[in-house]
This record gives sequence, structure tokens and C-alpha cells, in this order.
Amino acid sequence: MTMAHFGGHGRTHLSEYAGDVWFGKLDARAKLVGIFVFVIVSAVLTDFVLVLVSLAVALTLVLASRLPVFYLARMYSAAVPFILFASVSVFLFGGWERGIEMWARTSACVLPLLVLAAGTETFDLFAGLRRLHVPAVITTLLMLTQRYILLLSEELSRMSIARKARGFRGARNLLDRYGVKVVAFTAGMVLVRSFDRADDIYEGLKCKGFGQEMTPWRRSRVALKDGLLALGLATVAGLLLTVQLGVIT
Amino acid sequence: MKPLEIADVGFTYEDGTVALKGLSMSIGKGEKVAVVGPNGAGKSTLLHLIAGFRMPFSGQVMIEGRPLDESSADDLRKHVGLLFQDPDDQIFMPTVEEDVAFGPRNLGLDDIEGRVARGMRSSGMETLAKRKTHRLSYGMKKRVAIAGILAMDPAILLLDEPTSGLDPRSRAELIGLLKEMDRTMLIATHDLEAAAEIVDKAVVLNVGMLMEGTMRELVLARDLMHEAGLELPPISKLFRVLETMGYPMDDLPVSLDEAVEQLTRVIDREGKHAHAHIHTHVHGGHEDDHKHSKAAAGERQPRDEK
Ligand SMILES: Nc1ncnc2c1ncn2[C@@H]1O[C@H](COP(=O)(O)OP(=O)(O)O)[C@@H](O)[C@H]1O
Ligand SMILES: [Mg+2]
Repeated sequence: MTMAHFGGHGRTHLSEYAGDVWFGKLDARAKLVGIFVFVIVSAVLTDFVLVLVSLAVALTLVLASRLPVFYLARMYSAAVPFILFASVSVFLFGGWERGIEMWARTSACVLPLLVLAAGTETFDLFAGLRRLHVPAVITTLLMLTQRYILLLSEELSRMSIARKARGFRGARNLLDRYGVKVVAFTAGMVLVRSFDRADDIYEGLKCKGFGQEMTPWRRSRVALKDGLLALGLATVAGLLLTVQLGVIT
Repeated sequence: MKPLEIADVGFTYEDGTVALKGLSMSIGKGEKVAVVGPNGAGKSTLLHLIAGFRMPFSGQVMIEGRPLDESSADDLRKHVGLLFQDPDDQIFMPTVEEDVAFGPRNLGLDDIEGRVARGMRSSGMETLAKRKTHRLSYGMKKRVAIAGILAMDPAILLLDEPTSGLDPRSRAELIGLLKEMDRTMLIATHDLEAAAEIVDKAVVLNVGMLMEGTMRELVLARDLMHEAGLELPPISKLFRVLETMGYPMDDLPVSLDEAVEQLTRVIDREGKHAHAHIHTHVHGGHEDDHKHSKAAAGERQPRDEK
């Protein structure tokens, strides 16, 4: 999951817009199951046309979710370096067609995951995983990690503002020894400070009687529309897979 | 049995900083006590120690009659509600209502809805139940944090600099809230004015305890205040100045309420006389040499004493 700091000022939550759209109101479990099935199948498709079809489905999901496209695009752009890296290396070894295929396949996997992450209240997402019987240690760890990354990015932006306020322009290149030194030093500071704050937050959790288990309580039931979404995505995935395997030609 | 008893407590950080030394104090049921002291006096350390986050320490801390140690810390923490200085460190859930319910649910308490409703009512948040916590203002976040603690119904409330970082309006609201609240509380602060409004008793802390008494006794102990690096509340300063100008002060007020009360009393007693007296001093100016020099002499007197 991409958890970089999206947004210009203050703390921007990953699921900032989840509450405003229909997709955000669906049951987390249904979304998790549907999207994961789709993503896994998309990842193993090898037929170029099928890959393009799955990309089209992913794009449809993006638009249908009604999440702000600019927001998803910004999240996607954070993943671009990785996607490019994969595609370019495939291109170098397998030619341009394989390269484009790789890019399409990766995007078909990444986009639904972004929709899931942005379109689900982060806590619901972890609670959903827990309800799908993912061990408590893992969901709790995920929740804390998410919180920690948020905190890191917060400290980071604070530090960079503080640096700029003191007239620091950034290291122009790796030979700018003073600049590099400042950057390295502040990076260390950010780590130390977020470590301290993580400590505080852990104490905050303990004050609230938090043990290891996060108790999911939103009594959300899988309703018809939740089931339909999961079923729809699974059906598309199933079709793609059967065609891929040559059952239907 | 008192909710909190501390006997000869000392604490030293890993790096050798002595944060607390030989501290003894206790809080009775329903009592509100302020721990005042400058930055670095050990106030936060003390609160964290009571909440069972810092161990080991020398001496003894008793919560609800039970000794605090490593093995009892997690259990005793249920009786202690610590309000952090930064509310962001103790808000975890997406909406206000859910965050307030978070603690009671973790503890497996009964009647969660009732608790949440009461917690939100006593912190004045009832209309904001569905709001997103991360979009609230700083002052509102503090209130959410307080509501979340109240919902757990702790025997003692520990508040770390509750008024810091608040704008004047939110500060006044929070002070009003804490003043009305019928709870045992320990407030760590350097905001003497706020403390004076809320608590009956105060402890001056600077690593060790310098003094214990009412807020009035505290502001009257000028040397000690100076030694502890504490500033008088502005209202007390104003009355000190008035006193040097001949105002017949019977008690140094430490909060606005007290000041108003005293002024009303003095005006009642002295009638027009007091009014005229202050009037001549304020507007007397240079024309009236006699009165002017008298006022100047009066002004010098207390300074010479010091
Ligand atoms: N984690 C720590 N490690 C070492 N020293 C600390 C730590 N936290 C606080 N101190 C020191 O302990 C003393 C008391 O700090 P603190 O309890 O935060 O004071 P206050 O809350 O009254 O401002 C200070 O001298 C501070 O520098
Ligand atoms: Mg402090």
C-alpha cells in the first residue's frame, strides 16, 4: 500500500474522501475479497488483450468509485517510479510490447488497490482484515505501521518547513557537501523525533486500555450491494482467468 | 483510602537527569490539585509515573490503595485517566464518537453508549459525535481526548498542561469545563491563572516539592515564586500595583472571579470613598504635589523591603 504524504499542508489522511462516496460506505470485507481476487488474477494474466481488458476494468472501477480522480492520480504518481522501473527492465530484456504489457498489468493491479485504500476508512480496512481472520498481530501491526508512517511524514514536513524558515535551500547536488550534511542530519532528527512520538502514541494507546487485539465493533453486515461488488469483481476475474487458461476460446 | 498517595518518590532518567526527588503528596477523593512549576520541573514525569509508564522509581505510589509497580501498572492504569499535552497522541479513531468509545471498548466495560454520551456531554461535545477527528481544531481535539478519558470513568484525572496551545476562547471554555467537573484531578501546569480558577490546592514542584498550600498562599510567597521561576497571574500583579497606590487590599486575588468578588466587597464597604480614592490617584497628576509624593512613597516602600 502506498502511504506517502499526499497533499500540500497539514495531515492528509489516506482515506480523506472515503466518507463522501458510495464506495466508501460498502463493507470492507466485500471490497477486500473482491479487489484481491481481481488483483491476483490480473497479476497472472499473460495474454496482451486480456491484460488490456483488466486494465480497462480497473479504470472503470476508478471512475465508478467516484473518488476524486486527481487524488488517485497523485497516489498513482507516487507508485510510478516502481512501475516504470519494472516496465523498463522488462522492456530492455523483452522488447517494447512486453514493456507496455508489464506497465498495463502493474497498473491494473495498482489502481484497484489504490481505490481500496483511498475509498475505505483506514481503520475499517484493518478491522475488515481482522474479520477475515487475518491474525490480530498482523492487523495491529499494520495499524501501528500506518500510524507511524503518517507520523514520520508529519515530522518530515515540519522539519522541512523549519529548515526553509532558516533559509536552507536544499542540497543542489551530491557534491554540495554542506547541503548533504544538513539533509542527512535532519533525516536523523526526523527518525529520533518520530521515535519519541511513536512512544507517546503507544502510551496513548495503553491509556485507552489497548492490549493487542483491536476490537472491531462497527456492526457492518455484508448487504446485497456489498455482495454484488465482490461477486462482480470475482466474476470478471473468473472470466479473464478462464479465457487465459484456454477453457473458453 | 485516598485515590492517590505518593511517598518520598524519586526518579532519574537513564541519562542521569534527576527529574524528581523526595516528593510526597496525596489527593483526597473529589479534590482538585495543581502541580505548578517551570519547564523541566518534572511535572510531566510525575504524571507519567503515576500512569505507570515510567519505572522504576524510588519511594511509593499508591493508587486506590494499591501499590504501583511493574506488575500492577497495566491494571492500575484503568483507574487513571491521563490527558496528554498533545491530543494528537491519544486520538485514534476516525470519528469523535468512535474515539470516545475506543477506551471503554478496549476495557470491555458495560453500557458503552451511556458512557460515550456522558463523556461527550461533560466535555461539551454532544453535537459533534459524527465529526472526523482529524479535521477538528486543536481545542476541539483536546475536548475529544478529555471525553475519551471521562468515558473510561477513571478514579483520578491527570491533566498535562491542559491549557497550553489553546486560544483565549477555548482556554476559557476548558477552564470552565474543568471547574464544573466533579472529579478527582491532578493538573500539571505553569498557567497559574488557570490553576487558580480550577483548583483549591497547589503544589509547587521543582524536582522536589517547594511548597504546598492554597493558590492564595502560593502567590503570597513571593520569594518562593521567584525561586521556582513562576510568574504571578496578571490579575494578582495588577492588585499588587493597586495596593502600592493605596488600595485597601484585604486579600490578594488570584483569579478574575476572586478579583471581582473582592472589588464588590471593598466598594460596598468603603462606599464612595474607595472610588474617590482611586480616582484622585489616577487623575491627580502633578497638580496635586502632596498626593503625588505620597503615592510615590507608597510605591517605593515594598520595593525597598525586598
Ligand atoms: N526522556 C527523557 N530523557 C532524559 N531526560 C528527560 C526526558 N524527559 C524529560 N527529561 C528531563 O527531565 C526533567 C523534567 O522534565 P519534564 O517532566 O518533562 O518537566 P515539565 O513537564 O515540568 O516541563 C527535565 O530536565 C527534562 O529535560
Ligand atoms: Mg511537561
